[in-house]
Amino acid sequence: MIKFEKVGKIYPNGVEALKNVSLEVKQGEFVAIIGLSGAGKSTLIKLINKMHGVTSGTLTVNDIKVDKELKGKRLRSFRRQIGMVFQSFNLIGRTSVIRNVLAARVAEMSFIQSLFGIYSKADKIKALEALDKVGILEKAYSRAEQLSGGQQQRVALARTIAQDPSIILADEPVASLDPITANQVMKDFARVNKDLNITVIANMHHVDMALKYAKRVVGIRDGEVIYDGPAKNVNENLLKEIYGRDITDEDIMFKDDEHQI
Amino acid sequence: MNIKSKFKEHYWPSFKKLVNKLTVQTKPVRTHTLSNGIVVIEPFSKTPLILFILLILSVIAWEATNVNLTYLFTRFGNFFDILRRMTSPRWAYWRNVIQPMLDTIQMSFLGSLIGALLALPVAFLSANNITKNRVVLGTTRFILSLVRTLPVLVYAAILALAFGFGVFAGTVAIAFFTFGILSKMMYENIETIDLGAYTAIEATGSNKPKAFVTAVFPQIMPSYLSYSLYSFEINIRYAAILGYVGAGGIGLLFDDRMAWRRYEDVAVLIVMLFIVVFTIENLSRYLRKRLS
Repeated sequence: MIKFEKVGKIYPNGVEALKNVSLEVKQGEFVAIIGLSGAGKSTLIKLINKMHGVTSGTLTVNDIKVDKELKGKRLRSFRRQIGMVFQSFNLIGRTSVIRNVLAARVAEMSFIQSLFGIYSKADKIKALEALDKVGILEKAYSRAEQLSGGQQQRVALARTIAQDPSIILADEPVASLDPITANQVMKDFARVNKDLNITVIANMHHVDMALKYAKRVVGIRDGEVIYDGPAKNVNENLLKEIYGRDITDEDIMFKDDEHQI
Repeated sequence: MNIKSKFKEHYWPSFKKLVNKLTVQTKPVRTHTLSNGIVVIEPFSKTPLILFILLILSVIAWEATNVNLTYLFTRFGNFFDILRRMTSPRWAYWRNVIQPMLDTIQMSFLGSLIGALLALPVAFLSANNITKNRVVLGTTRFILSLVRTLPVLVYAAILALAFGFGVFAGTVAIAFFTFGILSKMMYENIETIDLGAYTAIEATGSNKPKAFVTAVFPQIMPSYLSYSLYSFEINIRYAAILGYVGAGGIGLLFDDRMAWRRYEDVAVLIVMLFIVVFTIENLSRYLRKRLS
């Protein structure tokens, strides 16, 4: 369970990214965070695995307080429970797909093992199974940089699964993909969420994708949560309030309905 | 005649002429009028000024170092004399060269290897995108600058006094030198790579060194191996002269044979050195080509 209690975040440069955020996400939920760029979506996600520290309020993740005291070894073992997927995939381009997935196991290994890339048989099977779950097993021994964007994002998702997380954080996971591929990747997220009971929290700029795949939507504007509820209750007026303007073509991935899968 | 008076007498008139020419040429501001009436002013070019400063510096350097062209021509005969004596090498000398030559290669190889291995972790600590701690960054970079200050020959001379004359001192000297240049090349290389994968591995709960070897190594490995081979290539040539300061290898023989004016033996040395350097260079070039 993730619990934000009156959390605020002010960056060292003085920018106040989040104000008084209170949220509670239960295990196994699929939550989409929507809002304009700069609204604080990315900050919210990065607080959860302490890529950034909170400035005020309390944040509790799986009964662990994410505060200044959480650092070093404790922080690293805390992070192992939380997977993260990035907009730009962040794969190691020059190595094979399976090695990219195995990289998630490095946290549990010794330095010497990681230096020489010595992975156990069990880890290799785990990595291959993770690739199978996102339907990309046949690419296991290809070089990561030779894959298409959608395939790369699936490898990134497999890497996260191989980490055995209880939470997956996704920072704009489909923003750099074309609409068709984006749908496929989102389906993978939905399946992983359902089959493995992993909590998924995804930042989504594209409203239609968020509403289609997430059951719960959190709308953020200027660092404040202004909507938190089921995806099906989100309507035009609410979106107007979250975005501070009418929804434009840029906020929607599918411009017309006939392309919908 | 000192530099100052000579400068006034010989160079001042031409200097004045040059300045006049430069100023006359740049006085009217160059403008281009386009067909629609817009006037574009061409900015003043700094090139003539830079060339002029370079010219002055060259003249000063020429005077300060007492370059004497006539001397170069009058004594050139001696050079040909030595060269003529080298045309009849005493081939039997090759047996004496083998062992020192192997020493030279060994010094170069081991030194390059040790230096290259030490360079990687230090490059990790000196790259400003990996190491955020300014104290660590400043300290490692300062040490690296210190290490790079001394030429390999000076290292060898000092180390030969410390560890005794011989191959060991040469190996350590080359290791220092390789470490100095390679760690700088590598941290500059690391600073240009994409850190996305590194961030991703750190987010899985791995510590920095493990994230580094997993996500950054594959990206820098080709250039690292290529730079290491290139250092080995350069080091062979350095190793050849280290003997002059007592650090072993064929430099000792060069020193000895030249002192005795046995140019027919020096010729054998040069031929053998050429073969070795040529072979290693081509081998290294071949390997580096395969890497890229």
